[in-house]
Amino acid sequence: MRKPEPAVRIAITGAGIICSIGRNQAEVWESIVEARAGIARLTRFPNETFTTDIAAEVAMDDPLTRREARRLSRTDLLAVIAAREALAQAGDVPLERAIVSTGTSTGGLLEGEDYYTRRLAIGRRRARASRVLQQPTSGPSDAVARLCGLGGGAVSNATACASAGAAIGMAADYLRAGHADVALAGGSDALCRLTYSGFNVLQAVDPEPCSPFGATRKGITLGEGAGYLVLERWDDAIARGATILAELTGYGASCDAHHPTAPAEDGRGAEAAMRGALAEARIASVDYVNAHGTGTLLNDSAETKAIIAALGTDVPVSSSKSYFGHTLGASGAVEAVVTVLALQHQIAPPTLRLHASADDCPLDYIPHAPRAMRMTDVLSNTFGFGGSNVSLAFRRV
Amino acid sequence: MVRVPITGIGVIAPDAVGVDAFRALLASGGTAVHDVDRFDTTGLSAHQAALVRDFKPRDYIAPMKMRRMNGLSRFAVAAAKLAIQDCGGSLPPETGVAIGTAFGPVQTSVEYMHEYIEKGPSLAPPQLFAESVANAPGSHIAIEWGLRGFNVTITQRESSALAAAMYAATQLVKGTMSSALIGGVEEANEMLFSVLDRIGALAHDEHAGLTLGEGSAMLVANAGTRRPYGWLSGFGIARDATAPISDWGTDADRVIAAMNAALRDAELENVDAIFASANGSPRGDDVEQRAIAKRFGGIEIVKTKQIFGEYAAGGALQIVAALLALDEGRYDHVLVSSLSAGGGIVCAVLSREDA
Repeated sequence: MRKPEPAVRIAITGAGIICSIGRNQAEVWESIVEARAGIARLTRFPNETFTTDIAAEVAMDDPLTRREARRLSRTDLLAVIAAREALAQAGDVPLERAIVSTGTSTGGLLEGEDYYTRRLAIGRRRARASRVLQQPTSGPSDAVARLCGLGGGAVSNATACASAGAAIGMAADYLRAGHADVALAGGSDALCRLTYSGFNVLQAVDPEPCSPFGATRKGITLGEGAGYLVLERWDDAIARGATILAELTGYGASCDAHHPTAPAEDGRGAEAAMRGALAEARIASVDYVNAHGTGTLLNDSAETKAIIAALGTDVPVSSSKSYFGHTLGASGAVEAVVTVLALQHQIAPPTLRLHASADDCPLDYIPHAPRAMRMTDVLSNTFGFGGSNVSLAFRRV
Repeated sequence: MVRVPITGIGVIAPDAVGVDAFRALLASGGTAVHDVDRFDTTGLSAHQAALVRDFKPRDYIAPMKMRRMNGLSRFAVAAAKLAIQDCGGSLPPETGVAIGTAFGPVQTSVEYMHEYIEKGPSLAPPQLFAESVANAPGSHIAIEWGLRGFNVTITQRESSALAAAMYAATQLVKGTMSSALIGGVEEANEMLFSVLDRIGALAHDEHAGLTLGEGSAMLVANAGTRRPYGWLSGFGIARDATAPISDWGTDADRVIAAMNAALRDAELENVDAIFASANGSPRGDDVEQRAIAKRFGGIEIVKTKQIFGEYAAGGALQIVAALLALDEGRYDHVLVSSLSAGGGIVCAVLSREDA
């Protein structure tokens, strides 16, 4: 069995993103630079009443044809939009041995909810089961593979909020091991009732737009979106004359083994994931951390401890979720794209709405405004239900 | 490490709890496919499935912990316990967990939505939400045994467990972890069964198709004292672009591509037998049969899903069947083939000995 050779460098040659602050890289970056968040009143479920009523919803036009969009779930649609942008930027990549690796936590659950409600009303014989063909969480990967013409295979994972980060890390390893020549790696998630309701019954949702790392933080803001990176072996990218956006230098994964939904308070799992990414990247420090930074009391405290343990107290940190909420299974990829953009522009996105410092969060979280700063090596963290932790290391080119 | 040893197996299978019972089921020539007696199939076309029977979760899981687990998690935790016992040792904290499931917590999602509709969005039970994520089984396993390595749940339809094995094996040969728990889990329920029936996927008297299976199987990789059942030698993936969303494709050359990729990864030219995907789907079985004939000629083909159905243990029971055959000395190398609706193909080479 071929080993993922550590000497094989991984180039990022394309990136695609869609979330509440933009439908593509240009729109998203413009929003970031202008410190413009995409959090507003929830509109998706107008006839239902939740404990909170704000979200970071995506405003989509219809970029796919009716034929293409047929039988796609919203999560699939978001994935295809982001994947296509990434592939378009990457240019002429060979598709025969191109794989797609996707992380999602809900898949077509939104459509599944509609089906279930209808079925309750009219019975299982009459409810159209074809509406849930894309309910499995393999849906986005399969949709991207089909609509982007990828011949190398499809892999999906549903590891809660760590899904997309895991998808990117495993894709890089598959490239290093020669299982594929190109990987379209990322994640997608659409907001659905079960998710919106569920986080509320867990009392994990802030009734106001989230304030990661702040003294007044009360929880997450739920969002949706998708992000993809095109990954290639460095030498292959150079040989075909591709423009390299950044380098993926490290992937660290761990599990807290602590609680089904709450992170370990000492941040040990998060620290282990970050150390794993640093070790793979062969670095001991970074210039910036794009944090998981959800806005919950537990995560932000635990993650801060982990960052201090792994990197010390001097590294600037920020939470992009302050812009577009928690995109759940997609967050690892959406935030990876933001991190790549930050490296390219040498501007770190801020943590918005950080009005009062918290005693348990003493680091520099880049409050309020984007900061121009020299960044060479950076980390992007995502942690999920079940204690799964992923950290990715990126390097400027 | 270039081949990954499997040193423990735990099985919660249709009609077979425990690896010895599963071995006996395979040897019996019988089937675990029976008329469904767990939920109502009135008005549906299919009425048979391979369901887990005689399984008492409390025999494996403490009552307090069991109450926090859905059926999927109970299957997986029980199988993990059996696997760890079987390997003759304990798992170090630096152990990763990679589990495959095609459909995950469908039953829990249904129960949550039922509560949501009956009581309102704010009064659904938090416990149900915690169990509504596909990686809940992997989480419970990590918590129970203190496993702090990677923890990933692969959801690649029929190939979920095989793809989970590919991920875990890659991490082990990479050297980030020294051991892993690899497996799959699936739970049959009325919603899943009826949807598959209504889209014409399930077999019945007038219609060829697959049979739904459930259960869990877990494999210990590189830990414990037991002599390995077999070794994971190589993996290959590809995709058949002729496959529509919910059916198999027709391009045998793409299946051959995945098979050849697995053989190359294992540094082998050939194998002794194919543990086929063969699940009863007309297009899937046809394209696989043609691929095998074209690439391997008259090689022995072992079909197992008529015994325990498709999706059973997320596809992991197929891997267990191959490992047991290696353990019994019947082959030196076998190829396990898994074709998914939608075109995904994952293949693995398993070997009787280390390289």
